[in-house]
Amino acid sequence: MTLNAVNRDIPSNIEGYGNTGEKLFAGAFARNPEGCRASARIRSRGPNDGGKFLGSVREAIAASGLKSGMTISFHHHLRNGDFIVNQVLDECARAGIRDLTIFPTALFGVHKAMLPHIQSGVVRRIMGSVNGPVGQLVSLGGLEAPVVLRSHGGRPRAVIAGDVRIDVAFIAAPTADIGGNVSGRAGKSACGSLGYAFTDAEYADCVVALTDNLQHYPIAPISIPGIYVDFVVQVGSIGDPSGIVSGTTRVTRDPLRLLIARYASKLIEASPYFKDGLSFQTGAGGIPLAVTAFMKDAMKRRNVRGGFGLGGITGYFVELLKEGILKKLMDVQSFDREAVESISSDPRHIEISADWYANPWNCGAAVNQLDVVILGATEVDTDFNANVNTESDGALLHGIGGHQDTAAGAKLTIIAQPLLRGRIPCVVDRVHTVTTPGEVVDAIVTEFGVTVNPRRQNLIDACKEAKGKDAVPLVPLDELAERARRMSGPMTPVRQGDRVVGVVEWRDGTVIDVVRQIFPENISS
Amino acid sequence: MGFTETPRTAQAGTVESMDCLVTISASGERRQIEISGGGVSRFRAAMEQKINQVLDGLGSSENIAISVQDNGAVDTVLGARVEAAYLRFRGVIDA
Repeated sequence: MTLNAVNRDIPSNIEGYGNTGEKLFAGAFARNPEGCRASARIRSRGPNDGGKFLGSVREAIAASGLKSGMTISFHHHLRNGDFIVNQVLDECARAGIRDLTIFPTALFGVHKAMLPHIQSGVVRRIMGSVNGPVGQLVSLGGLEAPVVLRSHGGRPRAVIAGDVRIDVAFIAAPTADIGGNVSGRAGKSACGSLGYAFTDAEYADCVVALTDNLQHYPIAPISIPGIYVDFVVQVGSIGDPSGIVSGTTRVTRDPLRLLIARYASKLIEASPYFKDGLSFQTGAGGIPLAVTAFMKDAMKRRNVRGGFGLGGITGYFVELLKEGILKKLMDVQSFDREAVESISSDPRHIEISADWYANPWNCGAAVNQLDVVILGATEVDTDFNANVNTESDGALLHGIGGHQDTAAGAKLTIIAQPLLRGRIPCVVDRVHTVTTPGEVVDAIVTEFGVTVNPRRQNLIDACKEAKGKDAVPLVPLDELAERARRMSGPMTPVRQGDRVVGVVEWRDGTVIDVVRQIFPENISS
Repeated sequence: MGFTETPRTAQAGTVESMDCLVTISASGERRQIEISGGGVSRFRAAMEQKINQVLDGLGSSENIAISVQDNGAVDTVLGARVEAAYLRFRGVIDA
């Protein structure tokens, strides 16, 4: 056991993961890349080699050369409407393929169908987020190898640096042509951006595109060109549209959350970043969306013209683009119908890959240009470390998403959250799991006010300068933590086993924390 | 019509977030406490203590089963729900 830079005991060797000696988290910007990028096998398909079209997932699995023990990847643009992960795993099971490592960009509730494949040994290892019943199973020790969690930027970094080699990438394609050109913009299963799939397409040894909307060659526009795609498979349906895109996401009407959003907006207004060119990411949650609404008012009132909006894009951001409050949108994931329509029709709405969005090891990801990001967290501690992975019962139920990347990249990282979720305090002495280190978290905003990280004296000064109706209510962290303790009462510690069931990597590939096994009596139902 | 007498049961609370549903019924044993839901994993001890404190304060000594379906209630809410359920159980206040 050795302590890493956020004081977490990390075993020197983690069964099913490897040695951590050289890979202990040492600080948000401590590790630099060495050597060259990894590469995929060179393939060639000449004019006389026949087409790449196949009629079924089964044929594609056979043609791809997929064998037991290999690593297969998926993107999560179809979210909870995805049919592809389950279809591919079912076919693998039928073909007698076992011991697979699955490497999704994220998993959703719909993927609980993989439980029997975990139990029967078809799936041996998961590198990616787990939730719902799969998360419960993993938390209770139901998977031999630990789940490896990476951020949206850490994942492409791992592929490009050669930490993970993808044998076969299965790419759900809302539109594709016979040459393997792929797009997410059209078709009944349209999902907009295909940002998470780009790196897999470039670095996998074999790429299979699965579509329910096969078009003549070539489609336009093209997200992933057919030069990377080995096979195109036509399937009945790649997903359920109602699970792929949500309806319009609404701003919260809960007065408590509106108050928190109001305080966050005041903090942004008081900060040195509230000026022309302001760029921000707020995601689709209730509070962040309300912050966006308040910021829009403030920008209009003070005549500030924004720059770009980043990340998962919602209809609300599209509205800001149309009204000229933002000049561009950079979209790695389109959350709702409005976003899908906008990316398909407006050239100012740019599709970006996860690498481009958030990878720390390229020549400059979009997150580095970000002024402000509003994030959530299940808990934050008195060192400002944030946990987004484990719940209060210690169960591993959430992925990292872009949390680490945007926090590291943005000039102002705000975690906005009610002080209590139910009876569970969101400010504690020590988070159960460190996802994002306190050195890149600038402020916590709750219904009691704004708590600025003491590392950011300039921000504290800026808040103190704001007077009158722009005043920012500042609350010291100790006071906030004490208030949380008083309201929630004494908590029984989570009983944990020694076994590591999850490894949380910082975006540079170092181990920032591990998640240990819990027991059935722990689980909140 | 020949209805048999059902055991007396009283409830207070809701299953809304930050609330709890408390059900009290007659039991063979003295003060059985059963808690399920959100707070269980980290607050069982604190919740049991609060429930006992409220019932003792009301002078309860009968054989009752208290079932709490918790959705994140803080102590003051839990205490109020237990008190209301108990007073209803005793017929002191209307359901």
